[in-house]
Amino acid sequence: MANPTEKPEPIPSTPKLEPKDEREELEDINGGEEEEEEYEDEDDGKPRTREDAIADRIKAESLFRRMRETPVAVRVHDVIVKGNEKTKDHVIEAEVDVLRQATTLQELLKASKVANFNLQALDIFDAVKITLDSGPPELPGTTNVVIDVVESKSPFTGQVGTFTKAEARSSSLEGSLKYKNIFGYGDIWDGSLAYGCDHSTEVGLGMCLPRFRGRPTPFTSRVYLSTQDWLKFSSYKERALGLSLGLIASKYHELAYNIAWRNVIDPSQMASRSIRRQLGHNLVSALKYTFKFDQRNSSLRPTRGYSFISTSQIGGLAPDSRTLRFLRQEIDLRYAVPLGFYRAALNFGVAGGITFPWGSEYKSKASCIPERFFLGGNISPVCSLGGPSALWGFKTRGLGPNESRREVQDNESGDTYERDFVGGDVAVTAFADLSFDFPVKWFRDRGIHGHVFACAGNMAELSENKYRNFTATKFLETFRSSVGAGIVVPTSLFRMELNYCHILKKQEHDRAKSGFFMTFSTPS
Amino acid sequence: MEGDQETEVYTLVARKPSFDLPTACPNCLPAYIYLKLAQLPFELAFNSTFPDSDELPYFESGTYVAYNNEDGGVIEKLKKDGIVNLDSQLQSLPDYLSLKALIVSWLEEALTYEIWVGTEGISTTKIYYSDLPWVISKVLFYKQTYLAKNRLGITKENAEQREKQIYKRASEAYEALSTRLGEQKFLFEDRPSSLDAFLLSHMLFIIQALPVTSVLRCKLLEHSNLVRYAEKLKSEFLEASSSSPSPPLHSFPSSFPRKSSKPKGKPKVEKTEEEKKFKKRARFFLAAQFLAVVVYVSVMGGGSSEELEYEDED
Repeated sequence: MANPTEKPEPIPSTPKLEPKDEREELEDINGGEEEEEEYEDEDDGKPRTREDAIADRIKAESLFRRMRETPVAVRVHDVIVKGNEKTKDHVIEAEVDVLRQATTLQELLKASKVANFNLQALDIFDAVKITLDSGPPELPGTTNVVIDVVESKSPFTGQVGTFTKAEARSSSLEGSLKYKNIFGYGDIWDGSLAYGCDHSTEVGLGMCLPRFRGRPTPFTSRVYLSTQDWLKFSSYKERALGLSLGLIASKYHELAYNIAWRNVIDPSQMASRSIRRQLGHNLVSALKYTFKFDQRNSSLRPTRGYSFISTSQIGGLAPDSRTLRFLRQEIDLRYAVPLGFYRAALNFGVAGGITFPWGSEYKSKASCIPERFFLGGNISPVCSLGGPSALWGFKTRGLGPNESRREVQDNESGDTYERDFVGGDVAVTAFADLSFDFPVKWFRDRGIHGHVFACAGNMAELSENKYRNFTATKFLETFRSSVGAGIVVPTSLFRMELNYCHILKKQEHDRAKSGFFMTFSTPS
Repeated sequence: MEGDQETEVYTLVARKPSFDLPTACPNCLPAYIYLKLAQLPFELAFNSTFPDSDELPYFESGTYVAYNNEDGGVIEKLKKDGIVNLDSQLQSLPDYLSLKALIVSWLEEALTYEIWVGTEGISTTKIYYSDLPWVISKVLFYKQTYLAKNRLGITKENAEQREKQIYKRASEAYEALSTRLGEQKFLFEDRPSSLDAFLLSHMLFIIQALPVTSVLRCKLLEHSNLVRYAEKLKSEFLEASSSSPSPPLHSFPSSFPRKSSKPKGKPKVEKTEEEKKFKKRARFFLAAQFLAVVVYVSVMGGGSSEELEYEDED
């Protein structure tokens, strides 16, 4: 299920108040039919004389005055849809249901804006116009709403952008081709090719239905074939062929179901023991629920507000007990405090996650490697909302539990790593970031600003009875941390940082070095 | 390297056991038997999610790993790396190579054919797919059947002809091996070799894992000295460490019902303990229920008599 970074700009068409409306009101007040007939004749054409124009303006001004002072009672009698040759009436009417609930003219105007936005958001119309017309003469105080839509002439659209998908765990660059409204239900079909920052590629076919069997939220489905190449870091490659269904997608809640055939292989045949044991095929059948509450003023440069996200996943939901059984929980809490000078702000963040297998003998079973947590990479912790993922200064999958790879008999050059990072079952990260504008106007205009940061994080293994060796003291003692400063350059596609990091504390075998680093992040 | 391995544990990772075999996979069993013949202490670990991998079985010790798709197989790699070599003085013998060619080409072809085509893959579910969900196992079954037919060069046109050729060669191979073996304990004098491991594995698999209707199985059982050879080696090397001896090989069909009840022997012992626990808990539960009813009746019985008094008063 794609969450595009850009939502369609709301371009509400201001509802035209036809001269008829005002005369309807006046007719109520005056209560004469003869006058109505006269006015109807005049309605057929534009006001011809200057006096008519002035009279109309006076009437409109008096109406607006009345609207400002008191609510003007009106009821929607009928919703008329025009211009839809392919799109089914009920699809459009479902998006403008809010109009029927309006009881006053002021509410109706607001509802018209909302309805217009909803229809634009369906992404299948080139233009939407909502007009308020007078109701039938025998029913005073009513109005008909006329919705004029212009369906997209070319059903094909192409798009390139950066997205965060429900089934992926990182940002990706994606190119997609969309075919809109084939069956007239507002359905959007798309084929896409995505390349992710986590060395993944994905080919997918998706379908989005705005209204599926009367459900209030859109229904999305996606068939995908993805590969993730972790040979360099963990000596395995992951391939998956799956189907993901977006069941609920509202402002705060998201529920998705994913069923996939996953294959973990090691073409290099250099993997360490833990990875070797997990090579093979698996069927993943998992339900994922995300609760997201984001009150920050920006996801690329938050200066005020807070956000909280919790993601829960349960795998093994199938009658067959041989599917992969696991539980995964991630939380992420952010808080931004404005400091008042040079648009400076202090950002704090804490994230944690835990994963565990379930079922018989769950304590001694190993957790699935692709479901474990891996910290490190060239993304910025400030932008990666969703769970423990990155620490400044540490390379991709550059810290945490690790094991020796298979020994190599012939002497090779030392640029290949000798250890596999196998991930952790529990991970915790925290960061503090002070961002500020530069005094130079040129930088300020382009949004280029500076920041000073500190971060810390750690991971540990719990499955395969390793929870017995886990102690809080040892976990705290082995915490990794780094500090640094840098420049942030926001672009239209991503946020780029050029930082100098100094590693304060790291453990043996961690891939981290003090020095200059660049990070690329997309808002999530 | 050898010094390091002495402190490390040897592990053979193979596919899961079934059909009363320590590992039911015909590619993994030779390596297992080889290590048993060499009397090298090792642990057995299982991988049950990768039926279409040619890396299995693999032998590991610390960071040393010997995969089956390298250097001619696990056994060859173990010989080459000096971990265990049963063929050190036999490789120069003239009939070593010819016997080896016979076993690893004709007999292996016959076995591959019998598993995937001859018996239509009846045994493969238990060997390869017992731990995989139905969808995945079906797709992999078709994939592996197709690959096996490709490897054997079987097409729609030559299927019958190829089948006859494979069975004929297997019969000739059994005849030759039976004559060569006679009543000896091993193929070569009185010392085990890797060829004994291959042959024993082949025979045990055919007799125990293939159905009674298998053509290859019938052909093998015609040579009683081969069957005796397998039985002897099995009881001496494979069951020396296991607690319960399995029934004799040649009576496999009649022992099948016994076999199905035998595995229940051990779980039955555990079940009675569980049953005892359950009965104890059930007794406690019933006693608690009875007590609750008694208390209720006594307390409420006293209450109702008070109500009756009230009514009388009213």
